[in-house]
Amino acid sequence: MNLLEISDLHVSYDGIKAVKGIDLSLASGEIVALIGANGAGKTTTLKAICGIVRARSGKILFEGEDIGVLPPHGLASRGIALVPEGRGLFGRSSVEENLEMGAYSRSDTEIAHDLEKIYTLFPRLKERRKQAAGTLSGGEQQMASLGRALMSRPRLLFLDEPSMGLAPIMVQKIFETIRSLEGMTILLVEQNAKIALSMSQRGYVMESGKITLAGASGALLENPLVRAAYLG
Amino acid sequence: MDIFLQQLINGIVLGSIYSLVALGYTLVYGIMGLINFAHGDIVMVGAMVAFTVIHLLSGSGLPMFLIAGIGILAAILVCMAVGYLIEKVAYRPLRGAPRLAPLITAIGVSMLLQNLAMMIWGRGYLSFPALLPAISIPVAGAGISAVQILIVCASAAMMSGLSFLVKKTKLGNAMRATAQNREVATLMGVNANAIISITFIIGSALAAVAGVMVSAYYGVAHYDMGFILGLKAFTAAVLGGIGNIEGAMLGGLLLGIIESMGAGYLGAITGGVMGSNY
Repeated sequence: MNLLEISDLHVSYDGIKAVKGIDLSLASGEIVALIGANGAGKTTTLKAICGIVRARSGKILFEGEDIGVLPPHGLASRGIALVPEGRGLFGRSSVEENLEMGAYSRSDTEIAHDLEKIYTLFPRLKERRKQAAGTLSGGEQQMASLGRALMSRPRLLFLDEPSMGLAPIMVQKIFETIRSLEGMTILLVEQNAKIALSMSQRGYVMESGKITLAGASGALLENPLVRAAYLG
Repeated sequence: MDIFLQQLINGIVLGSIYSLVALGYTLVYGIMGLINFAHGDIVMVGAMVAFTVIHLLSGSGLPMFLIAGIGILAAILVCMAVGYLIEKVAYRPLRGAPRLAPLITAIGVSMLLQNLAMMIWGRGYLSFPALLPAISIPVAGAGISAVQILIVCASAAMMSGLSFLVKKTKLGNAMRATAQNREVATLMGVNANAIISITFIIGSALAAVAGVMVSAYYGVAHYDMGFILGLKAFTAAVLGGIGNIEGAMLGGLLLGIIESMGAGYLGAITGGVMGSNY
């Protein structure tokens, strides 16, 4: 059984049909890329899966459970985490408070231990743990947002444009970290098709609300249509 | 008698009441961007409920401090319920509506509460019983009464409690997160509606205490006492930067002191404009 199974998802957003019947699936442990131009409907798809915008029709199954009917605050405890576009940090709260919010849905005793793990992964965050998150640099904010998502111990992680607005060296650092998350199931939404396809096993190409191409990432990288449209 | 010191003491007492009420405005504004104009009337409900309970128990033979305590507790509980209900019935259906809609609704709720209170407790001024004996302790040429000490201490205790809750607890972290980005907080598993309810309940509890204090201080309660008080507290919240908790506390104190000094020194010029409303 697939970890995530989406079938015939339609979403309207402010009266515009942003997603027009897509099918998408993720097997456990897979990294899957969702690429496409700005406005193709990638972020809306993520928001619909997370329940922030309501799907107009279609099914969203996580481990066989229909999560499309759950209240949006019920997803975190099931193991779904999102690193939102633009990082979505709580800018006036401290870095540590942001990370602690990531563990909000947990009630076990290992939260402090996981916090230390995040600090080992990103020593910069430890240096700045008392600082307001809004005062961090773009790269540090992306680390904090990724760290915050990991604090929930997710089994399914959505990354929305993690490379956006970052210096190339930071992009590299972030993607190295993502690669090091072995065994985690990840849906990576990116405009940077090259980097997304090079680190995923499979990929979907989205255009004006529809999936136009799907397949192994290696094959997509070689596909002349993809090369012409997204790899320049 | 030292007028300056006396007015400073009076101002601090008045200011701590304003601060408590201002916190209710600022908490709700911080979390949902709404100016809850009915908040002042919750203060009135607190005073009225305490009045009724104290009145009913006054023949029971219980000691006065116990009666006062039960009265305050009843006021807090009723106000918490009223605050919760107002949010649930009046504001929650307007989530996502243009900002003007909940604002107008807030004014409507305020009128509703005032009129309900007028029907229940009448149009007249109710004489609020003295909760503490009228003793005054001399301080360097001025005097400070037992009620004044109680008001300042209780306000300080409630404000420190609130600060601790908002800054140091998991609930407080979630409240601040929700205030900053409701969508992302929801993704972390925060039930934003529950946080909003809790915010109203906390603000209403503070308002209840403020209501009992202001009535005990002036010795009266009245169905529209919340209007001017609410307006002043709202001013205090704006003065401190609405949405900012320390700002509301400071704004309330400052407004109380300004008002008290104005009443003491500028009465002749301002025609009592800066005097308190009772």
